[in-house]
Amino acid sequence: MTLRTKTLTAVAALTISATGFALAQDGTTTTVPMQPADAQPAAPQTGTTFVATPADGAQPETAPVLDAEAAPAEAGVQPAQAEPVQVEVVETEAVEAEPVEAEPVEAPAPEAEMTAADAPEASQDEAVAAPQNPAASPPATGDEGVDAVALQEGGEAAIPVPTQEGTEPIEEHFAPETGVVEAVTGHDEEAGEEHAEGEDDHGYGHVEDVAFSFEGPFGAYDQFQLQRGLQVYTEVCASCHGMKFVPIRTLADEGGPGLPEDQVRAYAAELLPVFDEDLGEERARVLTDHFPAVSGEGMGPDLSLMAKARSGFHGPYGTGLNQLLRGIGGPEYIHAILTGYTGEVQEQAGTLLYGNSAFPGGWISMPPPLEDDRVTYEDGTPATVDQMSMDVAAFLMWTAEPKLMDRKSVGLVAVLLLLVLTALLYLTNKRLWADHKVKRKH
Amino acid sequence: MAGIPHDHYEPKSGFERWLHRRLPIAGLIYDTLVIPTPKNLNWMWIWGIVLTFCLALQIITGIVLVMHYTPHVDMAFASVEHIMRNVNGGYMLRYLHANGASLFFVAVYLHIFRNLYYGSYKAPREVTWIIGMLIYILMMATAFMGYVLPWGQMSFWGATVITGLFGAIPGVGETIQTWLLGGPAVGNATLNRFFSLHYLLPFIIAGLVLVHIWAFHSTGNNNPTGIEVRRTSKEEARKDTLPFWPYFVMKDLFALVLILVVFFAIVGFMPNYLGHPDNYIEANALATPAHIVPEWYFLPFYAILRAFDSEVWLVQLVSFLSFGIIDAKFFGVLAMFGAIIVMALVPWLDTSRVRSGRYRPMFKWWFWLLAVDFVLLTWVGAMPTEGIYPYIALAASTYWFAYFLVILPILGVIEKPEPMPATIEEDYLAHYEAPTRMAE
Repeated sequence: MTLRTKTLTAVAALTISATGFALAQDGTTTTVPMQPADAQPAAPQTGTTFVATPADGAQPETAPVLDAEAAPAEAGVQPAQAEPVQVEVVETEAVEAEPVEAEPVEAPAPEAEMTAADAPEASQDEAVAAPQNPAASPPATGDEGVDAVALQEGGEAAIPVPTQEGTEPIEEHFAPETGVVEAVTGHDEEAGEEHAEGEDDHGYGHVEDVAFSFEGPFGAYDQFQLQRGLQVYTEVCASCHGMKFVPIRTLADEGGPGLPEDQVRAYAAELLPVFDEDLGEERARVLTDHFPAVSGEGMGPDLSLMAKARSGFHGPYGTGLNQLLRGIGGPEYIHAILTGYTGEVQEQAGTLLYGNSAFPGGWISMPPPLEDDRVTYEDGTPATVDQMSMDVAAFLMWTAEPKLMDRKSVGLVAVLLLLVLTALLYLTNKRLWADHKVKRKH
Repeated sequence: MAGIPHDHYEPKSGFERWLHRRLPIAGLIYDTLVIPTPKNLNWMWIWGIVLTFCLALQIITGIVLVMHYTPHVDMAFASVEHIMRNVNGGYMLRYLHANGASLFFVAVYLHIFRNLYYGSYKAPREVTWIIGMLIYILMMATAFMGYVLPWGQMSFWGATVITGLFGAIPGVGETIQTWLLGGPAVGNATLNRFFSLHYLLPFIIAGLVLVHIWAFHSTGNNNPTGIEVRRTSKEEARKDTLPFWPYFVMKDLFALVLILVVFFAIVGFMPNYLGHPDNYIEANALATPAHIVPEWYFLPFYAILRAFDSEVWLVQLVSFLSFGIIDAKFFGVLAMFGAIIVMALVPWLDTSRVRSGRYRPMFKWWFWLLAVDFVLLTWVGAMPTEGIYPYIALAASTYWFAYFLVILPILGVIEKPEPMPATIEEDYLAHYEAPTRMAE
């Protein structure tokens, strides 16, 4: 072996170890550790991100600007659970990051009742309230469009656990009105939908491609879209669909919705309480808990993995290779279902079925959950059915694949390093064989 | 050991002599690494190293995954989600392991078809071939049981369907099925035994791989000409060969890394491409998926299983002759296992004395038809059993059996092989200049 060959071999070996190191690094740094209550690493980051990356999507540009006008409304929108100390922390960081973010200073730490009482006006008057705390705002904004709840499938069973206090407007409003619907739609949607899902392989419904931001090798989640999707999930889907595999704390993760931790904590407390085996009784959810599991008569399937559990794309020619650039297709399926209602309704064995062009078989037992302005977005994005569907589909892709962005960066680093290694090994191999493999010239 | 003559290990320093008298391990490593390898090996001879890599990858990622996985029907699905969400790098481990299985099968199929074309299974390499077939069957068993572990819908129903195949055996079938499942249906006992075996079998495979390598190191590698390396003297052998290290190690590594570029692109950018969406739905004994589709690497044999339904006259005839003991279901099972068995018996079914397909003008066409047939079976295995698909499956299955049982035996008699070079060196010099210097 010549010296040159040896050198090249050594370089190749080094590159292999570098690849391994890069992978190992990624593995150890991606998970955001849980922080104790007073540590707030997420808050400053997120505060900055909101302002620093307004061009991230079409929607959020308006948010920081409108922040100023929204200042008074902030008071009502602050999370009920946010204690004064925490609010201060957030504010301080926000001030450092960007002056516009400073309005929360004016916000007195509100009480739970205030949230419930003030929020409706706040969000109606200021449809574009500050985006820092969409997680906290759902209960507040949940008030409008509640008339739509008449169509909400499920009914009382949607909220099997009684609300602790009057602090949760969603449930306050959902409970009575959906109760009416319950009589009409008593159908096990899970069984129905999963059965039909199997028909995906052939004769599946019509699914339109959507250009989501997270598709393709360089795709990334749009943080604002995930936050809007969380809002849609919380205000609309959550009454019938659980997400039992998703830890609440991950809402603060980078590469996810990236909410400040205090907001996530407040959000957790507003979810259905959880039964604590150690205490032997129910308690409010904390960061380490998961989203509630929702099951029972009339309830829908768990949505944690829905975006990966439905196939969308099979092309070109049935190879499915376009998934590389256009994504797995699951979010498109969700979007297509939510926008695919034809308006027809039929009754079958005492169950109402709704015409849906995307659902395999064409009839779905889930009533149309969305109509325009069903939710009010904090960032001023018009809440069309299409927009809400895209947002919640993106959010559900994140819940199904929270490490998507990490994975893509690992993939990219690995592919690039391996390409370098391939080149080195090609040269090594060529040099090595040079004396033994000289093409005969005829 | 009757290998190709080459220089053997000579302990040089005092310590080497001391160790060599007690444990000749350095000699073993040396002889393995410098083993004379036919210098005309082409790029189809790289799959062995890819397979070795896959086995190592699967064992290493698998061992780490087991540290976080819970083999219980109530917790298995959630523990996989735990790996995906909470374990550092867990999502990467799992996707590497899941896609690693696919790379494993891509490599093994190309490896097998390389053998079929160049006649590597022929004497004196039948034992290597048989061990290889054993490894392949164990691989399928391991992959099948591994797919059950995430306890998704396809895991559960795949396990139900495949173990149901054994139930089709007349008389003892149900007993065997219950014994495999550990109960009347797929349940916790099934999951636990599959987990245990999924962990055990790779190590048996690793042992067989060593025997596989030992076997072909004794016979020497086959090569694209199918002509044996001259063993009359060290000098002549050297004209036909180059040492494994560094020539083939570097070549194989280059090929491996190039394949890994594609592999990591799939793992990084589309890791669920080869999976089935239904497996992200937790197993539910009450909801049967409309189409139960096995992993892609089982599809050719799954297609053969389904091809022989009760409407095929051969099935009806056999059923009639056996007084209904061999019904359509059992016939399908026999056909599926038979498809692998005829492949394993190919050393004795191929009557041609010419090893390499390169010098067999008629064989070539039948071989490539078999390759197309295999792809066709894979494709049709994923299709529903309606319309034209059952006919395609039946035709493709028939060709599979015909190739091994009819075409290969007849070809050896009627085919007139093309002229062959006398030695590997002669073939090599027809394409390349004479080496300017010998290998060091």
